Order: sequence, then C-alpha cells, then structure tokens
Amino acid sequence: MQDPGSHTLEVDGLRKSFGSNEVLKGINLTIRSGEFIGLMGPNGAGKSTLIKILAGVYQASSGQIRLGGRTLTSLGDTEDVAFIHQDLGLVDALTIAENFALGNPPQRLFGPILNKRAERTSAARALGLVGLDLSVDTLLSDLTPGQKTLVAVARAMDRGARILIVDEATSTLPPRDAQGVILSLAAAAAAGATVVMVTHKLSEILEATSRVLVILDGEMVRDAPTHGLDRAALVEMLMQHESDPHNLDDASHQTRDPVLELRGVHFEDLGPIDLTLNAGEVIGISGLPGSGLHDIALLVNGTLKPHKGEVVESRPRLTRALVPPHRESQGGFGELSIRENMALSALGRWRRLSRVLKPRREELDCARVASELSIKPASIDTTFDILSGGNKQKVIFGRALLLNPDVFVLCEPTRGVDVGTRSEIYRLIRELARGGAAVLVASSDAEDLFSVCDRVALVADGRLQQLRPVSELSTSELELMV
Amino acid sequence: MFEESITVLVFLLIFLGFGLWLQDTFLNVSARMLDVHQSVPVLMLGLAVIVTLIPGKFDLSVSGVATLTTFAVVGLTVKNELPFPVAVGAAVAVGLGVGLINGVLVEYLNVNAFIATLGTGAICTGLAAVYSNGAYLGATPGTPDMPTWFRNFGTFVNKPPVAIVWVMIVLAVVGAFFVVDRFRPAAWSKTRWLVAKSAMFVSVILVLQFVTLLSTWVAQVSWMLLMLLLVALTMAVLLQYTTFGRQLQAIGSNRSAAALAGVRVRRQVVKSFVLGGFLAALAGISIAASQGSASPDVASAFLLPAFAAAFLSTVVFSDGRFTVGGTIIGGVFVVWVGIGLIVGGLPSTWTNVINGGVLIGAVSLSTAVRRRRT
Repeated sequence: MQDPGSHTLEVDGLRKSFGSNEVLKGINLTIRSGEFIGLMGPNGAGKSTLIKILAGVYQASSGQIRLGGRTLTSLGDTEDVAFIHQDLGLVDALTIAENFALGNPPQRLFGPILNKRAERTSAARALGLVGLDLSVDTLLSDLTPGQKTLVAVARAMDRGARILIVDEATSTLPPRDAQGVILSLAAAAAAGATVVMVTHKLSEILEATSRVLVILDGEMVRDAPTHGLDRAALVEMLMQHESDPHNLDDASHQTRDPVLELRGVHFEDLGPIDLTLNAGEVIGISGLPGSGLHDIALLVNGTLKPHKGEVVESRPRLTRALVPPHRESQGGFGELSIRENMALSALGRWRRLSRVLKPRREELDCARVASELSIKPASIDTTFDILSGGNKQKVIFGRALLLNPDVFVLCEPTRGVDVGTRSEIYRLIRELARGGAAVLVASSDAEDLFSVCDRVALVADGRLQQLRPVSELSTSELELMV
Repeated sequence: MFEESITVLVFLLIFLGFGLWLQDTFLNVSARMLDVHQSVPVLMLGLAVIVTLIPGKFDLSVSGVATLTTFAVVGLTVKNELPFPVAVGAAVAVGLGVGLINGVLVEYLNVNAFIATLGTGAICTGLAAVYSNGAYLGATPGTPDMPTWFRNFGTFVNKPPVAIVWVMIVLAVVGAFFVVDRFRPAAWSKTRWLVAKSAMFVSVILVLQFVTLLSTWVAQVSWMLLMLLLVALTMAVLLQYTTFGRQLQAIGSNRSAAALAGVRVRRQVVKSFVLGGFLAALAGISIAASQGSASPDVASAFLLPAFAAAFLSTVVFSDGRFTVGGTIIGGVFVVWVGIGLIVGGLPSTWTNVINGGVLIGAVSLSTAVRRRRT
C-alpha cells in the first residue's frame, strides 16, 4: 500500500464482443497514481462497456487488467478501487455516519454494542478528505445532489480506495454542484489518488483533468495530456468519426405545413416555450439533464398538460407517438412478447367491427416492422425482458412506427444503442420525415442532433432558444451541446 | 414448453396415482364432473379476480358481491315478490355498481386496492346480512319461488344438448391451436411447426378420447358448466384479442410505460373492476341457482380458493401470466386433489389444508423448474 507504483492500473488489449458486434476493439491503457483522467466519447462508443468490464459486470472477451502488476479479471473486488455511478448506493433515511457504517465491518465497544463514536470520527475524517464541511449526523435526504455524490466519494476513500472510477456521476447534477464534485476529485488526485472520470462535459475535462482519453467506436483514438488543449481541440477529437453528418436530404428548403405548435407554454420552471413542428421536418432540442428537455417533449406528446399557454394542433385527432427517455422504466413491458410490446399503441388498426383483433394481420404487421428494424432475435414471440438494450430500443421504436402518427416525439433515441443500430435509427428518422411526419428529437447526445435534425435549439434556464438550421452551426458551437 | 407444463404433468401423475389407488371410486366421470359443477361459483370468482389481477390490482370484494347478489336474486323474488327478471337485473346491477365504486376508489381516489375492496366487500356481506336479518332466505310454502327453469339450470342432472358442448369444445381447441404458436422454436420452419403442432393436438385428443373417454365427460356437462365454458371462452378472447385486454396486460407489466404508450390507464383499470364485479354477480347468480336459497356469508369461503385458482393459472401452461384457461384447469385440479384424498379416507375438514398445500406446492415447483432452466 505504501509503494505508489503498486496502484498503477494497466489495461492490455481489452476486447469485448456482444454476439457479432465488437464493442471494444483492443483497448490499451496505463494509468499511474495521482492522475486525473477524463474519459470521453459519444454514446455507444464503448465507454460504459469498458467501465463495466473494469467493475466486473461484464467479462472481457480477451485482454488483461493489471493492478500494481497483479493480473485481475476485474477491479470490482479490490478494496483499492471504487466505482461511483449516478446511483450512489446511499440510503436517504440514514445519517452520513450511518451510511458510512453500512457495509463496513462494525466497530464494537463490547459484545453487540456498537462504537458509535469511532464510526462518527472516521466519517468526519473522510468528509474532510473531500472538503465537505457537514455534521456527520446530517440526514442524507437533507443534502444537495452534489453533496451526496461527495459523500459517496468520501465513503469510497474512507474504505481505502486509491483509485476512483467516476461514471457520469456529474451528468445529472446542477452545474454548481457538479463543479464542487469536480474540485473535490481534483483535490483527491492532488493528494495521490487516481481518478478516472467519464463525462460528456468538455468544461469539466478542461478544468480539472490531467489527461484526456477519447474512445470512438471501441478504439482508444486519443490519449493526450489536457495541458495545452482547448475546447476546439476537444470537439475536433470527438468529431473525427463524424464521417457524413450532413448528408441530409435537400428538402429542408421547401415550405412546410405546421402540424403542431406550442404557444407561450409554461410548465413548472419551464416557459414561455414557443415551438412549431412542421410536416417533413426533424427538429432537435438538447439541454443538460434537469433543463426540462424531456418535459418539452412530453408537452408536445400531450402527456403533460401546460400550466399556461396552449398546444395548437393543425388538425383534429392529430396522432402522436412517443419514444420515452427511459427505456427500462418507461418504455417496455418486460413480461410481454415483442409483438405485444410493439402492437400496444396501434391496436386500433387491427380491430374488427366486433372489436376483436385480427391476430394474423397483427402478427404480419409486427413481423414486418421487426424485420425492417432488424430486431434480433427474429421471433416476435420472444419475451421483451431478454432482449439487449439496442433491441429493446428498436422494439419501442417499432411501437411508434406501427402507429404511423402525424408527430413522432423521440426522446434520447440512441441512448445505450450500439454504433450500428445508431446509424440505422438515424436512417429511420430521416425516412419518417421524408414520409411527411413531423419529428421532434429531444436528446442530450449532440450526435443525435447533428446527424438527423434539420433545425436545432438548446433548452437553458427554462427557455427554448432560437431554432437554427443545423448546417449553420459550427463545431465550436457543438460543444455547448455536449 | 416443459416449464409451462410441469405442474400439469405433476397433477396428472397425482390423478394417475389416485386412479390406481382408489380405482372406480375416484375414476368416476359423473362424480368428478359433479365436483366441477359444484365449483362453478368458485371458478367464476377466479375469473373475476384475474380480470383485476392482470393490471396488478387485488379485488377482495368479489366474495362479498357474490353473497349480496345471491341474496338479491333469492330475496327479491321470495321476500319482496318482485318478478324474477327484475331480481336478476338487480343482482347484475349490484355487481357492476360495486365494481365501479371499487374502480373509482382505487384509480381516482387513490385508495390502495386491497383496502378499498376489503371495505366494499365487507359492506356487501354486511348489507346482505342486514337485508336478511342475518338469516337464511329461501322459498317457503305460500311465497313465490324462483322459476323452475332457473332451478333446473342450477342442478347437475339437467344437461344441455351434447352438440352445443361439442361446438364449444371445438371452438376452444381451435383457439388453443393458434395460441400455442407462441411456443414455436425460432429455428423451426412454419411447416415443420404446423406438422408437429397438428400431430400433438391429434395425439392429445386421441389420448383424451381413448384413455379418459372424453365423450363421457362431455355428456356430463351441466347447464351451469356450459355457462362457465361460454364465459371462459369470451373472457379468453377478451383478454388476449381485444384492445382492452392487451392494454390491461400492458398496465400490469409496466404502468407508466403503458400511459406513455397512449393507454388510458385509469379508465381501463376501472373497467376491469366493473368486469370483475359483473363476473362476481354471475357467481352469485350461480349460487342462487344451484342452492335455491341464500344463507349468510354464503360466498365468503370461496374467496381464497378463487385466488388460489387465479394464482395457479400463472403456472398452468403459462409463463407467469394470469390466464383464463389456467384458472379453470388449476381450480378444477385443486378440487380433485382434495376430493381424491377425501375419497381415500381423509376427513373432509382437511380440504383447506390440502388447497393451501397444493397452491404452494404447484407454484414453488414451477418457479424452481423455471429458475433451473434460465
């Protein structure tokens, strides 16, 4: 534990395939004590797969992980390494000290009587490490999200972790909280800990890290010291894989019919929002988590009702279909089959006068859409639960397609989707627009906006900024969206 | 396919054992069909509870509704001397009304379904007691009685024309023929599956005919059983092949996803409670028909067996879902296991112990098999 060299983390030729789909194509890495690494890459590039292999959630197809010279299958079981996710694993109803004691071997006075004082002292010392000035008797539920993240970091360090792997823990935090977390992590790194941080935010990388790694399509394409980099350079690194972002059809200049309009809409902290969706056009909106991005999408879909203002539909009985932002909790029906999942919104189209459905037609239509989306496995009677993330997303997409609505509201259409599926989904969205549908893409992934949208805007401070044609945006403006 | 059928196989083995042990006292078609006939109210209540279990709600009021409707049918004819159709109409109205109240309480006033239906069920049972002064109600000399056709409908000895029963069985088999398509192995071609499936159906039917003498069973189907079959077929179609049924399944699986996919969740759940209330009223009417009278708390003993049948349906030819066919088959099998032991000499006071044991045994067996396979 004393020798700093014992905490060098080496990754050698790490590969991972899911079926025929190679997600990691040989990752090599050496990380030394005291480094603060920023790990970047678009969604689906392989960042989370890499982290999950390190944590022992997945097993690598080939390659080695070494910690201080020892070969390990994962870092999940070593006390030297701690993983901090968005889900912090803290209990809201307990105090900070009690949260620290959870999972630690109990410190006892005698017999079953716990040594509360010792627990509190060690918790207080750990809080000091991350610069939190709080009583250890504070209830977790009284903390801000940023403070909770820091408590999780402090707990990890209290347990002896020398390597912190932080997986997008800041992406859901308000900017100020995120800032505090980053500074604490930087302080921890300065004190000798190793920090690996996965993030989408360029500012965090530039502010705090000592070294930047960029993963694209399963390969480590850049490994450079942060010093001397600026935003433009980072954006350029991330955009290398953008082979053909603007092969959009030229229909963007013809006049379009408005299909649905938000006029002066207020909802909670949002508003006033004005937005017009036109037939044949893909509008993209983006913003930080918590910006209300998805609320706007749900307002357009009619799921949420505006507190003030109105949603104007160009024709009566306008049909709308939603791909919800959270696939697992809001999208799928785990125990039901692919067919039942896809058919749900569009059941009306197979209904006879007697109101009994036509099962053959339903099956044929679902099977056709499933094969168009190349959903695997091919049998549409497979249970939804056992599908991979990308295929789940396709099934939920299929549900919207079967409804064939006037308006598509697509939230995070490529979240957790592999590279191949991603381009298929982009192609599909373009086709929807070409077919005359109005499409709204609400995504926190800049690539979505640049790849399929005609006009894009940001949601910030409760307002939707002016929509601008995507071709007018320069790469330096892209970073605002990442 | 194996995991879905394991419980049924075990049941059949048990019956085979009973058959070898008890010979003709157990293998008596007429007596076994009489058991089923007498279980019609329980099975009907089983169907009533799966309608709300599918979208994930417990309806504990069904037995109360059944008791109250029994009293309505008997009492309004016998005590209040109203025309019989009015009495039946009132009973159905009670079922629908209580279902609607349950639905509104659960969905619009956000009362926990357990609590709301426990309450309405108690109120129904209580109202029946208040109405009858807590006493038995039945026809006495000098009072009008329920029509003879209705009493005949409830007895076991009156049988409908066999042809009708066969038509319904053919319908059910044809339906099942398409339903099993879900189990087609992905690697099999359509033709191969069709051949295999047809062979399986033909052999099952041949076995049923020549080993268990299907036609003698069919000849024993009573009017009330025919009604149960009809209701079950309708319900099976309703739950699998209508928008309402599909949406209920979706709600039960993931309520918020269903709402985002455009399902009007509250309205559909309320409808399911109303349908459950209607089926509970049918159960009450069957009790009135078969017993010809109403005794206090008549249906309360049916509540747990009804839920047992409903939960058994999740492991009878099913991958964890509540099914109509499974509820009927599971409910009947439980009754037969109990009867077999009683015929074999066990005092009939043991019935509930057996019911409980069978439910736990069947569900845990099927769960264990499924876990080992995945």
